Amino acid sequence: MLTKELVAASTVPLVLSVLTEGENYGYALIQRVRELSAGKIEWTEGMLYPVLHWMEKEQLIESEWREAETGRKRKYYRLRKEGRKALRKEKQQWMSVHETLTKLWEPQSSLI
Amino acid sequence: MGTAIEFDLNTALQLWRERLGQSPQFKTENLNELESHVRDSVVQLQSKGLSSEESFLIATRRAGTPAQLEPEFAKVNRNPLNQILHGVILIFFALGCWFLWALLHFPQMMERASQGRPLPAFTRFIVDLCLDHSFIAVPPVLAAVYCAYIWIRKANQGCSWIGFFAVTMATLFLLTLQILVALLLPLIDFMNHSVLK
Repeated sequence: MLTKELVAASTVPLVLSVLTEGENYGYALIQRVRELSAGKIEWTEGMLYPVLHWMEKEQLIESEWREAETGRKRKYYRLRKEGRKALRKEKQQWMSVHETLTKLWEPQSSLI
Repeated sequence: MGTAIEFDLNTALQLWRERLGQSPQFKTENLNELESHVRDSVVQLQSKGLSSEESFLIATRRAGTPAQLEPEFAKVNRNPLNQILHGVILIFFALGCWFLWALLHFPQMMERASQGRPLPAFTRFIVDLCLDHSFIAVPPVLAAVYCAYIWIRKANQGCSWIGFFAVTMATLFLLTLQILVALLLPLIDFMNHSVLK
């Protein structure tokens, strides 16, 4: 399980990345992240929505209420151009942290 | 044997929604989206063999308690209008107090013009309190401190501009009343004195 701080820091890049697969609604976004992380990333589900709304205000994503195949209405989110740009930046930053830690841990993995 | 009350998902969802809706931090659209989320979650849990009551309990628990959700929604739904209106009211209130402070110089001028004739006791008291002891500056300073608190804090709950407007205007009204009496007393005294002469 991830710490609260790491969950908070990774929410935006995770949402942006899942949305590169195509538009989606809140519940399915959470399911997708749970599935990909094998349950290691657990959000307090309702807390995702304020983040989505903040991302919408920042024009990273856009949303639309639409009727789903079940007949109920759902709010679908999709990436905007600004969101793709932000994701590229996020990717660079997370990759540099990842590479640095990998280099540090590889030779002495038995010590950790 | 007691009769078990049948669980109705729609009623339970309605009650859950109403409980969240008691907080001003949730817009109707937020509640619609959260309800849609819980319904999706319930369907998913039911497909795993849980009853609708069990599914509802787990789904709402996973969605988060009102105490967890409220501050997060408050951050994104923050309305700057409330803070702007607090600022406008503060300026108006401070100008009102400054105007009253300026008016209080008249009795002093009258005292000088009447060559040492003493001011009525109430007027003397108000002039001393407001001008010599700067009491008139206290309400605007308190109001400014309160506004600073409204502007810097993160949550925006329960501090509507209407309450601030009511308190400042009531204070201004009470101050004006006292100061008007303090201004009128030396005038009446002056007129009485002229008639007697």
